[in-house]
Amino acid sequence: MIDIKSIPSPDKPADALAAVVALRLMADRLERKTVKRAIEQGWTWAQVAEALGVTRQAAHKRHAKQCLKPKDQNSVRVTHVQPA
Amino acid sequence: MFNRLKLRMQDMGTIKKLILGADAQAHRRGEDEPGAEHYLLSALELPDGSARRVFERIGVDPSGLQQAIQEQYRSALDLIGVDDNGMIDDSDPVISNQLLHQSKPSGQAVMKKLYELKKGDKDAPLIGAHVVAVIAAMEHGVAVRAFNTMGVDQRELSTAAQDEFNSGLL
Repeated sequence: MIDIKSIPSPDKPADALAAVVALRLMADRLERKTVKRAIEQGWTWAQVAEALGVTRQAAHKRHAKQCLKPKDQNSVRVTHVQPA
Repeated sequence: MFNRLKLRMQDMGTIKKLILGADAQAHRRGEDEPGAEHYLLSALELPDGSARRVFERIGVDPSGLQQAIQEQYRSALDLIGVDDNGMIDDSDPVISNQLLHQSKPSGQAVMKKLYELKKGDKDAPLIGAHVVAVIAAMEHGVAVRAFNTMGVDQRELSTAAQDEFNSGLL
């Protein structure tokens, strides 16, 4: 829980800016993990994009590679099946 | 003339290793693009070994750098009363789909300053110590805060980098 009183004072901008950078890193990691989980649970890219407030293309571009399951990666292989 | 050409080719190889290494460091830690701190980690892995020697000259074990980077994130969050809940240490590696290399602004600044530093010294090869010298001269950012966490005096580090250039070990 963030306590407003614990935010660094404006006369210590280095501390406040360091906190901003750390929060961005945490937010990125949280986004990556959560999107991966949402896709695994059957969310569509359109739903993920809407929830994140970004375009579908932006969400897909940023996260699609992380969300490829081994099964999906195999499915792009070309297989030759002999006709019966 | 031939030596200059040979040196340039060698430098291009070093730059390639440095950039690919920085990308790998960032991706391993769950970040899309490398910043100055990832260039420093990459420099420590360059085969010339000079970046490591610069740290050792001031009695600091450079293998503590990654831990110091994590620690400075935790300290920054502590200051605003946020518990990272283990998220700073728990990162899934990024699988990059970028065709072109892209660095964070701090990473771009490292490459720009590295170019300027090397422009003034065209007769010596680019080595990891150059990267340390560039980052030791920075005032702010993750790498600088990691130096503070490690107890590294940036002026001493700069002097040690200069001593490494003058040592003629390469």
